[in-house]
Amino acid sequence: MTNPIKELILKFGIPSLAIIIIIVHFGFACNKNLSKWKGGGYGMYTDIHYYYNKIHISGMSVDSLVKDNDEMKETLGTLMLMPNKSNLKKSGELILSTTQKDSIHIQIWKPVINSKQGIYSRELIDEIHLKNTDF
Amino acid sequence: MSYLLNIKSKLKDSSALAIQLLLLILGSYCFIMVEENRKWKALILLIGGISYFLSRNRKNHPIIWITLFALLLEDLIHDYFWLANHHFLLTFMVLSVIAFHYHKRGDYLFKNIQILLVIVVITSVFQKLMSRQFISGDFYYFMINQGALFRKFINFFPESVEIIKSNSANLTNFQATNPNEHQSLIIRDIFPKVNFYSQIFVWLTIIIESAVAIAILFKPKSVWSHLILAMMIIGILATRFETGFMALLAICGVFLCNNIYLKVVYTLISVSCFVLIVTRIGYH
Repeated sequence: MTNPIKELILKFGIPSLAIIIIIVHFGFACNKNLSKWKGGGYGMYTDIHYYYNKIHISGMSVDSLVKDNDEMKETLGTLMLMPNKSNLKKSGELILSTTQKDSIHIQIWKPVINSKQGIYSRELIDEIHLKNTDF
Repeated sequence: MSYLLNIKSKLKDSSALAIQLLLLILGSYCFIMVEENRKWKALILLIGGISYFLSRNRKNHPIIWITLFALLLEDLIHDYFWLANHHFLLTFMVLSVIAFHYHKRGDYLFKNIQILLVIVVITSVFQKLMSRQFISGDFYYFMINQGALFRKFINFFPESVEIIKSNSANLTNFQATNPNEHQSLIIRDIFPKVNFYSQIFVWLTIIIESAVAIAILFKPKSVWSHLILAMMIIGILATRFETGFMALLAICGVFLCNNIYLKVVYTLISVSCFVLIVTRIGYH
């Protein structure tokens, strides 16, 4: 005779793992602003891709910062994927330590579409002012 | 005639066919992804390879499956937030097949795949319903006018292709501007009433995906359920070559389906997706 608990685990154990991953995704999406496209939440094609988020740093070019710098590429990439205060701070600290500047102002913007009027604009998600004495 | 009988007998065992197709997709996916975290993967492949060749006459453990599963886990550990959603589905499907190797119960494997498919599709519906950008039609409007959807069909209309190119160039220039100036960009419609058709497409997507989830949940073997699922997969592929994910959904279809003709359709989809993945025409 089959053990009912074992049977239940074998039938629903793996699907339950999938549900746990989805709950984790929603946790990160709500608390850390994780993109719907990633993290196992099956939310691809529901929002404009995070690739269209725009990092704006006053007086600096993002392209030149990431050029030949893998750590910078990864940190700013993570900021695009999960635009939140903590990632803004991490990016700011890395940029300040790399460029030897005294202070920095970083903003992260997301695209906003108005399909009725056919307009593409941008909305500020978050920003941070950081001095090299802050960390 | 004997060929046809042979094909028919091959198609009879759904699980065996689906497992072979899954191994094909898994192998190609792991091969494409092997460049990420290559040092750890080299170690996993070395251990897996040695274990396989030293114990090839024993069949106690599915060494190839376990090795490829370890490669998937390695990516999950190092790049959790960067992985595409089908990486997660693939991992769960592979885990189900490995479990099947030990418990040998076809009904458990069937239930695993059925519930996984329902969870994936229903979560996708919830995500769409919760997204203001999706429900308003703004997302599809933007994607269509950027040429990211229905591109294979739009290419037959040179005027629309020109508008797509102009929209893309305008967007690239716009992205270089300072967002604090609060400028906006006018998106040109690639054909009349894109906004209206986007709205229709939004609700069509939600209705079809909901129908698939409900049908597979309550009637996983029904021909009608599989007709809707196959239609959804073909519809998505026509919209965009999301071949990695669609191959997995088609393999789920093979696992659950009893109808021989539908199994042929699913097999054709899976193998076509495999070809598109390895030739990099589609997305992995």
